Parts: sequence; structure tokens; C-alpha cells
Amino acid sequence: MLTTLLLLPLLGVGAIALIPKPEHSRTIAAGFTVATFLWSLYLLLQSDLSGALQWQEYLPWVEPIGLSYNLGVDGLSLPLIVLNGFLTLIAIYTNGLKVERYRLYFSLLLLIMAGINGALMAQNLLLFVIFYELELVPFYLLINIWGGEKRGYAATKFLLYTACSGLLVIAGVLGIGFSGGTPTFDLAAIDLQNVGLIAQLILLTLLLLGFGIKTPLVPLHTWMPDTYIEASPATTILLGGVFAKLGTYGLIRFGLQVFPEAWQLVSPGLAIIGTISVIYGAMSAIAQRDIKRMVAYSSIGHMGYILVAAAAGTELSLLGAVAQMVSHGLVLALLFFLVGVIETKTGTRDLDVLNGLLNPVRGLPLTSSLLILAGMASAGIPGLIGFAAEFIVFQGSFSTFPIPTLLCIISSGLTAVYFVILINRTCFGKLDYQTAYYPTVSVSEQFTAIALTITIVVFGIQPNWLFRWIEPTTNVMAMMSSEFKVQSSKLEIETLEAPKLMTLDFEAKQTLNG
Amino acid sequence: MPTLTPPPTKLPPSTHPYAEVIHRLEAGGSMLPDTEENLMQIIGIYKAYAVPMDFYWRDLLYIAERVFLNPLPFFKYFLPQDYLDLPNHYAGESADYRVWQKGEASAHPELLEFIQNGETKQGIPRLLHHLWHDRINMEFAEACMRAMLWHQGMGGQFNDYLESEEYLANADRAIKAYFKGNPLMLGLYKLFPQMFYEKVREASYYANLGLFWEVMAPVFFEMSDRYDAGEFKTVPDAMDFLVNGIFIAAGRPIYHHVYIEDECYEIIPKSKGFTWLYEAALPYVEAIFYRTSPFRGTKSYNAQAGQVPDEQKDFHYGILYADVSPVGTAGIPPTLLMQDMYHFLPDYLEDYYQQHCRGEEDKLIQIGVTFQRSMYNVTSAVIQALRTALLYPLDDPNPEHLLKNRQFFEQQLDRFLRPEARLPDIQSQDYR
Amino acid sequence: MPNIVEIAVSNDAFSTLVTAVKVAELVDALQSPGPFTVFAPTDDAFAKLPPGTIDTLVQNIPQLQRILKYHVVAGKYTTEQLRELEELTSLEGSPIPIRCQTEGFEVKNATVLQADIEATNGIIHVIDTVILMG
Repeated sequence: MLTTLLLLPLLGVGAIALIPKPEHSRTIAAGFTVATFLWSLYLLLQSDLSGALQWQEYLPWVEPIGLSYNLGVDGLSLPLIVLNGFLTLIAIYTNGLKVERYRLYFSLLLLIMAGINGALMAQNLLLFVIFYELELVPFYLLINIWGGEKRGYAATKFLLYTACSGLLVIAGVLGIGFSGGTPTFDLAAIDLQNVGLIAQLILLTLLLLGFGIKTPLVPLHTWMPDTYIEASPATTILLGGVFAKLGTYGLIRFGLQVFPEAWQLVSPGLAIIGTISVIYGAMSAIAQRDIKRMVAYSSIGHMGYILVAAAAGTELSLLGAVAQMVSHGLVLALLFFLVGVIETKTGTRDLDVLNGLLNPVRGLPLTSSLLILAGMASAGIPGLIGFAAEFIVFQGSFSTFPIPTLLCIISSGLTAVYFVILINRTCFGKLDYQTAYYPTVSVSEQFTAIALTITIVVFGIQPNWLFRWIEPTTNVMAMMSSEFKVQSSKLEIETLEAPKLMTLDFEAKQTLNG
Repeated sequence: MPTLTPPPTKLPPSTHPYAEVIHRLEAGGSMLPDTEENLMQIIGIYKAYAVPMDFYWRDLLYIAERVFLNPLPFFKYFLPQDYLDLPNHYAGESADYRVWQKGEASAHPELLEFIQNGETKQGIPRLLHHLWHDRINMEFAEACMRAMLWHQGMGGQFNDYLESEEYLANADRAIKAYFKGNPLMLGLYKLFPQMFYEKVREASYYANLGLFWEVMAPVFFEMSDRYDAGEFKTVPDAMDFLVNGIFIAAGRPIYHHVYIEDECYEIIPKSKGFTWLYEAALPYVEAIFYRTSPFRGTKSYNAQAGQVPDEQKDFHYGILYADVSPVGTAGIPPTLLMQDMYHFLPDYLEDYYQQHCRGEEDKLIQIGVTFQRSMYNVTSAVIQALRTALLYPLDDPNPEHLLKNRQFFEQQLDRFLRPEARLPDIQSQDYR
Repeated sequence: MPNIVEIAVSNDAFSTLVTAVKVAELVDALQSPGPFTVFAPTDDAFAKLPPGTIDTLVQNIPQLQRILKYHVVAGKYTTEQLRELEELTSLEGSPIPIRCQTEGFEVKNATVLQADIEATNGIIHVIDTVILMG
């Protein structure tokens, strides 16, 4: 069942390699992506909503080092897999640049989809690391070959940072595998009950740093704006939309789930880092003059919400965290797509140059209208998906971390500030008749943007269509993590100052869950 | 910019910022550079302009003469047959002076076809055409009329006459006759006579503009015919034809007659001696090409910040200054005109637009820019005509006279020193 | 001494002007005691106007009268008197700029070909261009 999600894109790569005319690569790639996407949708519809792993596949691979081909999906990974397929399809139809070397380009896009699917499905830590590292190669090539002016610099920076991230994650993973009784890397078999808290904290810190670079969190974010700017729109959509999500996915899957006890200790710090990311991202975005850079910084801010929610670890906040991953993936993809369209048509991303794009005849009216909508979604205007996800994040996190949550709410107001700046400068005002000889936006470009927009609006109006797939899993996760809270508090009730509130919180939840 | 043409006279080169254009004017040229592309564009647009203009002048006269003070003029844009047949004084067998050689005196066939079928060509009732705006946009013509009424004081004696006792007496007779047996309106007239006089003045400007355009329509048709026959080779050829047209029509009377129950009331009699050149053409150019007023819905102005000039004479919202790209907003006068011309483009211009910019999608703007070019040419004709009438020949042997000519040209071009002026833009073919 | 109209009629150079004055029904007015100063354009001056100009004017008498009245000033102004002046007001109402220095005598954009032709009811200055208002 799940192997199909890996196999289909790889078959696509094979097909692209074999077809006689490279011009047809796009169609082939799209065909295989659609198939993968539909298959993932089918799996989503068939899932039993129990919250547990499903369709597990297990094949021993290199037994001596504990590597096994162990796949499985739950409500945490499956929505992201569906998102991955959707955004890859969007990326295939994003031609912010004249694509040359069709075969290579579309093969790389398919490889990325396969790799990300693999990482999201892997239930063996080593297998995850393999996929996690494998991603870097196609992304490096995409940035370096089809990037902007300083693509060499950006690609190298990207590779250095994310390779570091990979090394830290490997170190953490190896530590986890060998710290238990018998060396194992299968997620289900890992039991850190007997590992000391200090050792757990060290391992968790390694993972946090590794995933923190990928997410990215302040202050590990410095690779990100440069990379996002230089990469082509299609690459940026995949980078920001799904690739960065591997960071937050890793945090929840391998941090929260594997180290429930240590997580409790670091979570206040994580919440603070998350809040700093949110504020820093918003403030930096306000200061930008380049619209793509603005969107890139906005991404740092929005990833911060996910960290705060993951740190809080309540049922609602975890649901919010996963929903925000999906929501942010969609909104960011739309924003980067539209910014890419604007850049290709107008030849600039400079806020001081762009003006009046809403002009109905000579401007880019549809693109700028959708940009306004995407900005609203990103700023969390009700009725759009951003609101639904952020609201749940805030509501879920408030009980645990009231002050960071309040700060996040305030800086979501700042989000509105920079989007108003962005929209006001680019869309409104008077179109400069001397430069405004922009080519028209093609139907396929408009279609892509509209597909994303419809998704954003539909989930905004009916968020349950998204939440229902996630909720069972996040409930289970929150339950396990809060059980741990109880256990630890009971154990250390005499020695430590017992966090009584937590117990109450847990009891309250138990009552609620009936 | 094309290469500098040396000044054709004994005068030293001009130091004006538009020296290039001034030397061209001194050589008998137009402000619009002489290229084949420009010639093709302006002639094409003159033709496309002439067809709706043939409707404008007829309907303006119909409103001035027949609709007059109708308080609820729902059908003022529905021309009765006799106004469609109204013989143009400059076309057809019966013409006073036949400018348009091939044309009939009655309405242009393309216009009649359009009135019948509209753009939709579905044979739906005319009232629905009208409401769907599938018709000639008379609102544009009325906006021009209102600009003339509003600006006033642009030379000529027309405006002063509208304030005279004689005019008020004439208006009074017509008002009383028009509302005979209508105690409500007559009562209102007793209460608010000034309002009624003002409406009559407006009607007089309807007549003024109608009589002005009655001349221009056949002039433009004739230009299109001559271009098709290969008689125009250069932009100055086209301009010279316009200059001649201006002189031919200069002396035609401007008047305002109202027909009430088939009796003619002469509100402005022909005997006042008002002429086409002084009382209609020159105020028209001033009011429409240069001044007009900001169009609602295109841009916000802050009057407190001095974004709108204090003096009406400094207004600069006419076609010579217009930024055409906000066009496309429904209902603003320039868009209405572009839309009207859109229906009557000659094939060569149609093809030309399809090849540039966004083709069909931004055709209205391309039409607007072409129209701007063509009106710079018309303005050049006016400037050359004024130079002919008031100053000296271009080949005058007396250098002092040539200097006077140059001062006149420089003075005219000073008006285009504003940053909004499109004169620098139309020098290049890339401005579309 | 002949009056203004008689002088004009007797001179072949003024045949267009005479026709125009007749058509415009201004003969009687110009024969009245006046006195007037008339700036009289020659036939060549009328011929310099672009074709069609006169045709339209001849069909429209009030308009023709207006143009002709622009060439007439109430009162009798000799060259000597005009040296002191910069401007005269025509019967039409619009001003006529005069430049009359020691060398050359110009009326608006016209040059005076022959000045100071005395008549019983005024004086005639012959000009080489039809002057127009504005």
C-alpha cells in the first residue's frame, strides 16, 4: 500500500528517462504525481481514524545495523503526504523560469516527492535519516541549476546548513538506537524508560538543533532567506511548503513522541524560541523591500507557531500544530507562486518599484487579487485556512504557555502589518504606464493559483475536513505525553514542586474525553 | 528620439527643452514624429473616431434642439430618423462645402448598422441594447460638453453672450413655450429662474459642440478615404489637411435653435456672428485636449496638498496629459470613447493591436494611446493654423517674423513641460 | 475727395475686399460720415488665406461682417498718430496690435503696403495680409 507512494514517482523518473521527446516530461511527471496524489487521497479516505499507525510494512534490510524497511502512516504523516503530492503537482506547473533540461528538472521534482514521502512514512530511524539526507541532493541541484543570480552561493549555503542538520540528526538517531538495551532503530521498539534524563536531554538537544536548522528556527535560520530568494518559485514552493515541514514533523515524531519526559523539561524553552521566531520573523518581514524575502521571513514566523504548539503538547495544540503545517504549506505555496508570477511578469520584486498591479487591463489583476487573498490567509483572517489553524494553536497553547501564546497572538497582528505593506505597495496605487508592458498571465498559471486558493478557502470554511484526519493521532499523542506528565509528577511529587495544575489539567481532560 | 533635424531657418537652434519638436514645427511638421507607423495609427483612429462622432453631433443637436429642457430625458440617446438623416453641411450633395467627397450627408452606414444590431448582433430589442451599454456612449460627448460649460472663459464671445440680457430674454421665451400648459414646471421656473437659465446654457453648449463635431466627422472620414487611396504619405500631409479643414470651417456660424411644436426659437441666432473657430473649436481644444477635469474613479486627488491646481486654466487632465492605463474602469469618459472607437477600427489597425502588448486584452489602452498620438497631431494642426492666422509664414524672409513664430511655438510647448504631458512619450514608437 | 468705398472700388487691387463688403452689406456703413480707419487687405492678401476660407464666410454674412469689422476702427488714425499707440480697438471688439516705428509699419501680422490714403470719411492703410482676431 505505502510502497506505492515511493514507487510511483520513481517509475515516473524512469518513464521520463525513456520517453523520446523531452518536451513531454512535464506531462509524464504530472501524470505520475497525480497518480501518487490520488493514491494518497485514497489512503486518507480509507484510514480508520483510530490514530494508530496503519498499513505498516516491514522488511528486514540490513539487520546487523538495525536498518529495516519499516513504513507506516498515521494522522500526523498522512495529511502531509497528501499535501506533498498536491504541492509537487503545483510545482510541476510552476514555470517561473524557462525550464531547460526537462528530463533532469522533472526527474528531480519527482525524486523530491518520493524522498519526502519516504521520510514521512519511515518508521525506522535510520530509514528516516536516509530519506532525510537524500532530499538534499535534488534540492541542491534544483537551486544550483535553476536558481537566480547568486544560486551558487545559495545552494552551497543550503547544503552546508542542511548537511549539518543531517549530521546532528544522525548523531541523535544513533544515540537513541544504541542507548536502549538492544540496538534497534525501529520506532515502535524504542524504549528510553531506562535511559537517564541527562542522556535523554543530550540526545533531544541534538535532534532539536538538527530539526531546528531545517524548520528553521531563530537563530538557526540564516540559510533560509538566501535559499528561498535564489531558488526558482517551484523549488521554493517545495522547500517552504513540504521540505521545511520535515523539521517540525521530526520534532513532533522523534522529539515529543520518543522523549516525552525530556520534552516536558525543554518545552518552556521551546515555546520561548518559538515565540522569538514568530516575533523575529514578523519584524524582519516588515523591514524587507523585496517581496520574496518578505514572504520568506513570514515563513519563519509561521513555523514558530508550530513549535509553540508542539511544545505545549495539549490535544488542541498538537492538532493545531499539524493543521498549521498543512495550512502554512498551502498558503506559503500560494504566496511564493504568486510572487514568482509577479517576478516573471514584471521583472522585479522590489516593493519600491512595483505598483498598481490590480490595474484591470495592463496589470496582473487576477494574480494580485489572489495575492491579497493569500496575504489574508497568512495573516489569519477568519474564513481562510490560516485562521482555523492558528486559532487552534492559540487556544491549545494558551493553557500551558499563556505569555508566549499572547505574544504570538500579538505578532500575528504584525503579520497583518507586513501583508498590508506588501499588498498596498504592489497591488494598489497607480500602475506606471512607462514600464507596465507586462506579458499576460497564462491560463495554466492562473489555474494553478486558483487550485491552491480554492483549497485554502474550502478548508477555511470547513476546517473539519482537514482536522478529522489529524485529530485521532494528535489526541493519542497528547494522551501519552500527558500520561507522562502525571507519571513524572507522581514520581517526583515529594522531591520536586509538583506542577499541580498539570494534574488538574489532565483530570479535566480525562473528564472531557469521557 | 530621431536624429536632430537642423533648424530650417536662419535662426540659431532653439534652447527650449522640446527644441527637437520646435524645429519640426518650424519645418512645417507635427508634434507627432513623421513615421509610417504613426500615420497608419492616427488615420485609423480618425476613422474609428469619426463613426461615433457622426452619432455624437447628431444626438447633441437633437438634445439641444428637441429634448431641450425635458426634465426626464430617458430617450435622449434614441435618435429619431430625421436626425439620422440630417444632412451634414460638409458632406453629400447638398453640402455648403463638400469636405468629404465620397460620403453621403446622412449618417454613416457602419453607424446605422451598429445602431441596428449592436455588438451582440442578436437581434434583441434596442432598449435592451441600450441598457446593456451596447450602443454609442453619448455620455462621453456629454462629458466633453460639460467640460466646455464648466471651464468657460477660453476666448470667443460665446460665454459672455450666455450672460447677456438678450440671451436671457430669448431663453425666457423658449422656456415659456416649452412648458406651455405645464403649471408645475412653470411654477418651478418662477421660483428658480436661474436654474432654468443654467439648463438652457447647457443646451446651448450641446448645440455648440454638436456644430463643432458636425465638421470634424466628415473631415476625419475624408482623411481615411485619402489615406486608403494613397494620397497621404506623411504625418504632415495629414496635419496640413486638418489645418485646411480648420480654415474652411472657421467661418461657419455657431448658433442654438430650439424647435418647440415645429416653431423655431432662436436662442442664439446666427446673426450674432459666432464662428466655428473662435466660439467652438478653440474653446473645445482648450477644454477637452488640455484642461477637462479629473475623472471619477481613476485616481484620488488631495486638493489640500495642492494636487489639484488652484486655477481652472492650469487644469491638465485632458487627453494630451492623460495616463491612459487606468482606462478600463467602467463609466469614465475616456473608456467610453475607447469603447465606441473599438467597434469601428479599420482592419489594419485591428491587426496592429493584435500584434502588440496583450493584443485583444488591452486593446482599449492601445486605442487610447493611439488616440493620444492622433490628438497631438490635431493639436499640432491647431497650433499651425493659429500660426497661419495670427503670425507669419514659415518661409518668411524677415528673421524678426521667424523669431515671433518661434516664440509662439515655444509658448505653446511650454504647456507640455508638466511632467504629466505625454509629448515626450509619443516621440517614441514604444509607447503603446 | 472720394469716400472710403469709392477709393476701394476705384482700385483694382481691392476687388475681393469690395465684393466682400458688398456681400456683407457693409457698403452703407462705410459710406457714413464716420470717420473710420480702415486696414484694407489687397486681393493678394485674401488669396493667401487657405482655400475654402472665403467660400464659407461669403455664405455666412454675420460671420463675414465680423471679420471685416475687425479691419475697421472708429476714428481717423494717421501714421503719425499711430506711432504713439500700441493697440487699437476694432469695431468687432477685439484689439488690433500696431507696431509703427520709424522703419516699417505693421498691423498685427500684416505689413502696411501703403499708408495714409485720405478719404472724406476716414483714412485707409493698405495691408498685405488679412488680419484675424485672437
